[in-house]
Amino acid sequence: MQVLIAQLINGISLGSIYVLLVTGFNLLLLVAMIIHFSYPQVVVFSMYIAWVVLKATGNNLVLGVLAAVAASILMNVASAPLFQKVMQKRGEVDINSTMVLSMGIGMIITDVLSHSFNRGFPVAFPNALGGSRSIVRAGVISLTLGQVVALGVGVIAVSAFFVLLYRSRAGRAFRAIAEDPSGARLVGIPLLSTGFASYAITGLLGGVSAILLAMLLGSASPGLGEQVAHKVLAVSIIAGLGNLVGGLVVGLGLGVLEAVVQGYISGSWSNAIAFVIMLVVILVKPKGLFGVKL
Amino acid sequence: MKKAFWLVLAVALVALTSCAPKVAVKEWTVPFLNALTGPIASIGEYLDWGAQQAAREINAAGGIKGKPVKVVGVDTALDPQLGSVKMAEIVKNSLVALGPVPENVIQAAMPIAVEAGMMSMTATTSYEYAVKYFPWTVSWFPPTEKRLGVLVAAWGKLHADMKKVVQFVENYGPWPGMADAHVKGLSELGMTVEKVEVPTDAVTFGPLVVKALGMKPDGIVFVCNGEKIAKIIKELKGRGWKEMGKVLVFSSGDVPELYATGGKDIDGVVVYNYINPFVDNPRWNTFKAAFEKDHKGMAPFSLSPNYYDALYMIKEAIEKTGVTGNPKKLAEERKKIADYCANVKGFKGLQFNWDMKDGIPTNKPTYLFEIKDGKKVLLKEVR
Amino acid sequence: MPLPLYYFLANAAINVLMSWALYLPYRVAHLHFITVANMAISGYLAGYLVGTLHVPFGWALLAGVAVAALIGYLVSQFIGDAPTFAVVIVGFTFIYITRTVIENLKAVGGTLGMFGLPGIAATPAGHRWAMLGILFGLLLLVGFLIYRFDHSRLGRAASAVFTDKDLSSSLGVDARRLGMLVQTFSCTVAGACGVLYAFIYKSLHLDFFTFHLVGIFMTVIFVGGYATQWGSLVMAPILYGVPMLFPSAVQAWRIVIYGAALVLVLVLKPEGFVTRRFVVNLERTLSVRRRGRNTISKEGL
Repeated sequence: MQVLIAQLINGISLGSIYVLLVTGFNLLLLVAMIIHFSYPQVVVFSMYIAWVVLKATGNNLVLGVLAAVAASILMNVASAPLFQKVMQKRGEVDINSTMVLSMGIGMIITDVLSHSFNRGFPVAFPNALGGSRSIVRAGVISLTLGQVVALGVGVIAVSAFFVLLYRSRAGRAFRAIAEDPSGARLVGIPLLSTGFASYAITGLLGGVSAILLAMLLGSASPGLGEQVAHKVLAVSIIAGLGNLVGGLVVGLGLGVLEAVVQGYISGSWSNAIAFVIMLVVILVKPKGLFGVKL
Repeated sequence: MKKAFWLVLAVALVALTSCAPKVAVKEWTVPFLNALTGPIASIGEYLDWGAQQAAREINAAGGIKGKPVKVVGVDTALDPQLGSVKMAEIVKNSLVALGPVPENVIQAAMPIAVEAGMMSMTATTSYEYAVKYFPWTVSWFPPTEKRLGVLVAAWGKLHADMKKVVQFVENYGPWPGMADAHVKGLSELGMTVEKVEVPTDAVTFGPLVVKALGMKPDGIVFVCNGEKIAKIIKELKGRGWKEMGKVLVFSSGDVPELYATGGKDIDGVVVYNYINPFVDNPRWNTFKAAFEKDHKGMAPFSLSPNYYDALYMIKEAIEKTGVTGNPKKLAEERKKIADYCANVKGFKGLQFNWDMKDGIPTNKPTYLFEIKDGKKVLLKEVR
Repeated sequence: MPLPLYYFLANAAINVLMSWALYLPYRVAHLHFITVANMAISGYLAGYLVGTLHVPFGWALLAGVAVAALIGYLVSQFIGDAPTFAVVIVGFTFIYITRTVIENLKAVGGTLGMFGLPGIAATPAGHRWAMLGILFGLLLLVGFLIYRFDHSRLGRAASAVFTDKDLSSSLGVDARRLGMLVQTFSCTVAGACGVLYAFIYKSLHLDFFTFHLVGIFMTVIFVGGYATQWGSLVMAPILYGVPMLFPSAVQAWRIVIYGAALVLVLVLKPEGFVTRRFVVNLERTLSVRRRGRNTISKEGL
């Protein structure tokens, strides 16, 4: 029983990583209609920037967090014009163009990280981030501060963005610009500032996710983003593109599934089994378990 | 009479000097197929540094047969397609080569070297890969099963009270074979070994650690990537594992990422490897000092001497077999180098001397170390 | 033939064929990444048949092609007209499953890989000429079939599905059958590529078939031009060969250059370098010149 509880906690912890990344991914879909396949790489880049600032400032956490957030916002805002240029159809997600463009951006980020930071070696975050501090320990069960904070922030982020996008004027403005910029301009929505704000908000989530991942994982490597990118895309598709709540549920579900397979079946088969199950779901429900929300 | 004497002497001198094989090259060029870009670029740089350091020393001492040696890094970026084209270019005119690195490029490129009858020294791969390309490479390591069983058993004997050991194994290249050799060695001591598979793209390790701890192990062995090892050890400690001496890390895990990610959490862990940083000899001391100078104080990575030694072995082969670098004798001289290296006796390596028998080293030592404050402390030498 | 030229031509041919294997399903807006898994499956199967069971190469090639076609056909039953996302997930799933099965299968070498596959001719030179003959023969055959497809009703139907699937259905296009056709054909081509890849290197390693390959083929299609087959034909050798000419300091940043090229082309020339209009204009120019020559020669008579 203890082992089962421990594995469930592990699964939820792993799932919270997916939730953080999928929420940012879905947000970009909702506010900009883009499939940012390499959003995890942008988050990892922000982790590296945080590491650089932490090293340079003697582990000043505030500056580290600000640096991660700033890096993520900058990356988002800088890539926004590129995505806007390639999108051919408004009101519909142009998966092919935006996904391929984001793959190109991802290739650049991963290679720059492996050349220019710490000689391409993984970077370790200081224990002062506090993520590995155990708050509950009983036998093999262990619950750390990082796990609780990551899950908590993930749930809060999903709720907050849900309210922002579907229950506020600002959110309606973001979605209007994403679906039909000309129409949005006609009704008086300022395109530039609102568009900038929408990308900045996703950047903010990206920066916060970077710090939470740093707390949870304790380190980052150039290939970390690529490792999770396929699963993030898969979770979003299985849940339903743009479905924030669905992303939360499926993200956590995938984490638990992987933990159970690794814990009770076989580590090397966990990806294959997880993807087969996701494949069956997508064939049975092509629009995702919770429906597309675009 | 006097005139006849001087005439005979002059003729004899001319005959003698024309008999000695003349070096036909201005410079000995040794291409090194390496991963200089891509995910393991930093490791590629350490390997290249070792070869370049050997070249610097050799040239400072007068070169090979009076001619300088130049190691030319050829980047394959882990791409088998690129590796095959680069090797195809190299085999046109080169006498000998270093590399390739890593295993997927070895598989794409070595058949080309074999077909061309050119030796390419794969000094960082396991015996199981190298043996497929004999006699056109040599193995830097003895057969896995023979070597590792003994080594891991030596560690097991340090903790004879262990009954059950859990082994974390990542499915990559020769690692599963190394894990099997560990099992053999520990089984001979009467220990049972259970396996926990580590997915290659795992980012968290809680599920694997809980699974392992659920088996109630007395000891842990790691056969996976260094960064993953450090994270799993942190996870183990977080769930109450205390006996760090009963944790063994295999040689391929003894990489800078282990120390960078593990920090103080890996203190007390035992690691096995082939390089002893505490050896005290002038060559090693010079190598170590130069490495630390060029790498901001970082100690030499355990594989960085391999291509240093490989280049010296090539130097010895050229000097002792009368190789001249004459393009007209390319096939014949390539064979001479390969034959010499496959059965060299008493080769003076950077840290120790060893022999090769049919391409396999016969008497290389291995070491068990304990990690203390991020550095290795010698526990035991195992032969 | 110089050895580097052989490997360059052989690898370039594989890259063109695999890019075409992705190009064809993309005509109906499917990113059909299962082709990489097919490459691995057929490659290992043929390697096992020839290396272990001593089956002649020709039969092993046929077996590899047949198995790939069967997988493509069976899978297409489910995803023939599925949304693009589902097709992407199918591709990822098959790549993961294939890699996991192969790494756990000792019979095909597991994680060590497969070594020492024999040549297909009596001498190494004969083997190389035979391989190039098969590769370029396949290139011509597949290129011809894709050309005929593109210039047929099926090709026009595929363009309609790509532009607007619902409208094309209302005009009578059976998107499912069309999807099944292109997916099965694409898997067949990928299977042949896998077998030939194994015999170019005479060995196989799991790291020959990674997600990195997906990135390369996508770059070829989108930078070369996704609207016609000629883009892949032109771009595959260029993307493969040009970086080898860079100085080593620039080569170190090769992947960044590829990524930047992909981004720039998508932004500035979304259809890629070789666009449909360019090809149509070229075909018109060539046909006008041909008519002109025919007119002159008739007048001459």
